[in-house]
Amino acid sequence: MTRLKLLQWIGGGVVLVAIIAFFLMPYVWIVASSFKQQSAIFADMRPLSWRTFIPSQPTVENIVNLFRLRGVGRALVNSAVVSICQVAGTLVLCTLAAYGLTRIRFRGANIVFALVLMTFLLPLESLMVPLYITVSGLRLQDTLVGVFIPWVASPFGLFLLRGAFEELPRELDEAARIDGAGHFRIFWSIVLPNVRTALATLSLVTFLFSWNAFLWPLVVLSSPRNAVIQIAVAQSVAPGQLPNWGETFAGVTVATVPLIILFLFLQRFFVRGIAMTGVKG
Amino acid sequence: MKRTAAHWLTVAVFVGPFLALLAVFQYWPVFAMLRDSLYDFQLLDPTRRSFVGLENYFYVLTDPDRLQAFAVTFSFAAGVVVCVVPVAFLLATYLNGRLPARALIRTIVFLPVVTSAVVIATMWTFLLEPNNGLVNSVFGAFGLPRLEFLTSKTQALPSIVLMMLWQQTGFATVLYLSGLQSIPHDLDDAASVDGASAWQRLRHVTLPLMARTTVLVVVMMTVFSLQAFAPPLVMTGGGPEGTSNFLAFDIYTLAFSLQQPGVASAVSVMFMLIVLAISLLQMRVLRAKFVY
Repeated sequence: MTRLKLLQWIGGGVVLVAIIAFFLMPYVWIVASSFKQQSAIFADMRPLSWRTFIPSQPTVENIVNLFRLRGVGRALVNSAVVSICQVAGTLVLCTLAAYGLTRIRFRGANIVFALVLMTFLLPLESLMVPLYITVSGLRLQDTLVGVFIPWVASPFGLFLLRGAFEELPRELDEAARIDGAGHFRIFWSIVLPNVRTALATLSLVTFLFSWNAFLWPLVVLSSPRNAVIQIAVAQSVAPGQLPNWGETFAGVTVATVPLIILFLFLQRFFVRGIAMTGVKG
Repeated sequence: MKRTAAHWLTVAVFVGPFLALLAVFQYWPVFAMLRDSLYDFQLLDPTRRSFVGLENYFYVLTDPDRLQAFAVTFSFAAGVVVCVVPVAFLLATYLNGRLPARALIRTIVFLPVVTSAVVIATMWTFLLEPNNGLVNSVFGAFGLPRLEFLTSKTQALPSIVLMMLWQQTGFATVLYLSGLQSIPHDLDDAASVDGASAWQRLRHVTLPLMARTTVLVVVMMTVFSLQAFAPPLVMTGGGPEGTSNFLAFDIYTLAFSLQQPGVASAVSVMFMLIVLAISLLQMRVLRAKFVY
């Protein structure tokens, strides 16, 4: 019996280590190699040893080059601007619309919600061509506004907030109405303060998707000064070129670390929000 | 009841902006796509166009390259589902048990979900590099043969499936975990009392109870895979010989490199209908009752 226990314990340990290694090793290798010279990266690959995953002579040259020669600082700022604007726009439009659909009685509210839900299922990949023509027609191609404006009316955001608004007891706003408060007052001082968790979840998920978005920015942006961070990363590996490994890895690290830090601190909201993107319908 | 102009003005202020943007950036493009798929034109001057009827569709349905893109994308989705679903299910049941450092492992498994598709594709381009990549190094350490991965006609697609397994397992596991936490414990306990082994309980009690979650996971993984764009763009350029030319990438190249937005729109329409059909199927299945 004790031998079986021991065997089970060892087996469990092996499985545990295998899972952690499979998911974590790529990150460790990339981050470690971004602090190495190209020759050191190759030399440390065979045989596999601790040197593969820990730089023995760390250098920040790659990261310095990235900012000095490749304009990654600018790309990071562009990404931050786009993501923050997208979060702000999404919050404004979705909270207003969710209030309208849950707190104001009007004919056709259900039809409106059904119309919104239908767009929930449309894949962006199928819309890139007509959307590009539309955005160009509005003279927003190759602008940062053009990157985020199509997505601020987010069906996912409305769906998430509508659920949270519905859960809020209506007695609250009825009491306020008796005190003479109008819709805007109720919206601002009663409803919004009571759905903070939902607002935080929506903000984080929107930020995540905006920061990580690639296809649409690639389609709509053309000049290098407007490139967002994902485009900057992708350009360093365009097939057919000889890439600089260390600099590419440094770019990957710089593009990913802000989100991972955000995620580690606010994991609860992330997991909840991302799981919710899956329960549509 | 005074349902006056003021009432509708309030409605318009709250709901109007959202609907206006939705109309411009979702409904109008869908309409424009349906229309454009019937025309021959160039993106440089979309107003100069000639009506060609269903010709773009006939072309898509007969051109071997386009048909290959459909075939490649569907095999990719099938490969991802077959790999991710069992791994995520087992991982979720594993993480659902008593386990040291459970929170830590959940965090690690979930990391790829918050990492962008481009970053992941970039990382894996180098992980899978034949000469100096980490995967071949690890293979070498275990005495396995070195592989070509992305540059080989037969290995490119499986390599990208492997990458998707790494990328999507966390997401699927989270869905399964929330499913596992909502099932009643008494069935499992009863089976345990009746002398069922851990494997039998997993196979005959937990798995059937997870049918709904499995449908959800299968659909999500299918839709995610169908939409994959970064892998061909970053890793392979759709090659070698079109063996990783996914539909999203095909639409992109058709429209923006080959300047055939009409054909790209026809592919887009078919692609959209397929994704919609899968999503609607999911809704129907999930609404149906599962009786045990």
